[in-house]
Amino acid sequence: MNMLAPETTHPELRKVLVAEDNNVLGDVIRFNLQRAGCDVTLARNGKEAKEHLSTNVFDILLTDYEMPHINGAELCRIAREELDLHSMAILLCSAKSLEIDHDHLKSKYSIANILAKPFSMSELTDLVLKLIAPAHGVQLSSFSKIVLSH
Amino acid sequence: MRAPNAARALTRRINEQYLMFGLAGLFLFLATAIYLSWHNQFLDFLTVSISAPLLLLLIGSISLRRISHGHDEIEGQLCSIADAPEKMSELRLIPSKSVLASGWNQLLTCVQQQQAWNGVERRLSEAIHTQQSHRWESMFHCLPDGVAACDENGLLLQVNVAFATIIGNDDTSRLLGKPLVQLIGHLLDGPSQEKLNQVELSNATQTLELCKTSNPADGVLRLTARATQDLDSSVQGSIWTLRDVTQLKLAERAREDFVFTATHELRTPLANIRAYSETLATAADIPIEQQHSFYNIINAEANRLSRFIDELLNISQMEAGAITIQKHEVQLERILTEVFELQNPLALEKSQKFEHSISPKLPRICADKEKLAAALANLIGNAIKYTPENGRVHVRVESDEQCVFFHVEDSGFGIAPDEITKLGTKFYRSNDPRIQDKTGSGLGLTFVQEVARLHGGTLAISSELNQGSCFTLEIPVR
Repeated sequence: MNMLAPETTHPELRKVLVAEDNNVLGDVIRFNLQRAGCDVTLARNGKEAKEHLSTNVFDILLTDYEMPHINGAELCRIAREELDLHSMAILLCSAKSLEIDHDHLKSKYSIANILAKPFSMSELTDLVLKLIAPAHGVQLSSFSKIVLSH
Repeated sequence: MRAPNAARALTRRINEQYLMFGLAGLFLFLATAIYLSWHNQFLDFLTVSISAPLLLLLIGSISLRRISHGHDEIEGQLCSIADAPEKMSELRLIPSKSVLASGWNQLLTCVQQQQAWNGVERRLSEAIHTQQSHRWESMFHCLPDGVAACDENGLLLQVNVAFATIIGNDDTSRLLGKPLVQLIGHLLDGPSQEKLNQVELSNATQTLELCKTSNPADGVLRLTARATQDLDSSVQGSIWTLRDVTQLKLAERAREDFVFTATHELRTPLANIRAYSETLATAADIPIEQQHSFYNIINAEANRLSRFIDELLNISQMEAGAITIQKHEVQLERILTEVFELQNPLALEKSQKFEHSISPKLPRICADKEKLAAALANLIGNAIKYTPENGRVHVRVESDEQCVFFHVEDSGFGIAPDEITKLGTKFYRSNDPRIQDKTGSGLGLTFVQEVARLHGGTLAISSELNQGSCFTLEIPVR
């Protein structure tokens, strides 16, 4: 679908799981993150996301809060408590951010940040890249270059 | 004890009068005797010494009789009422013309007149009091809130009809003497019973909200309690009021849900528009075909936002009771095609079988095109929303000479029989756990019902749990 984004998984690419039941938004998030050099897997609901988390390793989970079957908070709980995925960063986004107890969720499931919809795509991309930046000092921009030249 | 004293004083005064006459007679007699002895007139002396006392005695008796005749009877009457004031009515006039008797008779007449007037006044006061009591009691029983008065032990002294009804007992008199806290307590869940038991009465009104179960739909009661005090500030009893606020609580919760739902429904297309427009603005190297696709998405999302705002406006009008229709002759096929085009993508997204069968002989009807389309979109949208993936939604449109029938059938979750009648209630949303993650205002069916009513039509609902539902909108041709 996307000419600029990698079609196959690159071993050096950071792996992102996007759980978003709003297909239109999910597609554009994937588009932007792929352009930023990430290997993006898109799950259309919480159940699908849980299956991906059980079978693959991801550097970051970007999940919507309101989703059918398993909501965002429950998905975070599954990731941290059932699947023991403690090193994976988590970003939560929601159109009902006022309803959510941010501090409680952040501390309980070690969530890096909670974004209120509508959010800026560039801010989201920057935040994801910052969270998955390799500890050994590889420049984030080099990911983009790798991908674009791929 | 004043009456015997007065009688004795009166007797004493009369005796004093007798003594005064006696002394005056004795003085006169001695003076006359001395004078006559001095002038050696013994015969005259004898005559005077006999006649003067007799004359004095006669004059004194006549005078005293004119003054104090009847005093014995007065004394007797006064003594008789000394220990029994209620015998005042038995006092009687004395048939004598003496000064004392006349005074007594005048006094007694005044007293009797006063007593008669007091009787009239008392009867009038009693009549007013009875009327006021009756009025007060009527008002007490007409109050929509339950009101109860308890004694110092918390036992019911007085209770109105509303109170009895709220606690599920129609007979107020059977509640009297029973402990209020226990009567209310047995209606409540554990935590609410504990709250009720912890009420400490004071002269400040305390308000509690008590739940029958953990689900507010089962009943919420608002209770106020206040001690009633005597002048010395000691607690004498208590006054309690009770109000069933279940519907109020449900409406409050529904309104909150609606605000959150509306926020979500507004933010979702807005988030999409922002994401795509920002992507287009920042990524200059996107292929032209993909750019077009993004622009189309922005356009579709803007339309979705616009439709939702229209729905909000309709709801707002309906809430204000200001919804009106403008009827024109409309071509149903065109309306139906537009509605199907809008709803089809939603059904496709859930891989549902979305079918429609329209009678070829539909008449032209007189209706408000926008409102009718919105009502149909609402019914079909609901059917898609509450039918699982791979389910079926079927729209049938047929007519007879008077009406057009729009049947929207689905193979969805179905509706429990006790919930069907509540569906048209503003903000009501089903308690079915399967629909809790579905967004909705709880006003959609109210809107459809209102549109049907304004057109002189009806909305009928039939449903079977786990089998599906059928909503039939009936609109008259004219």
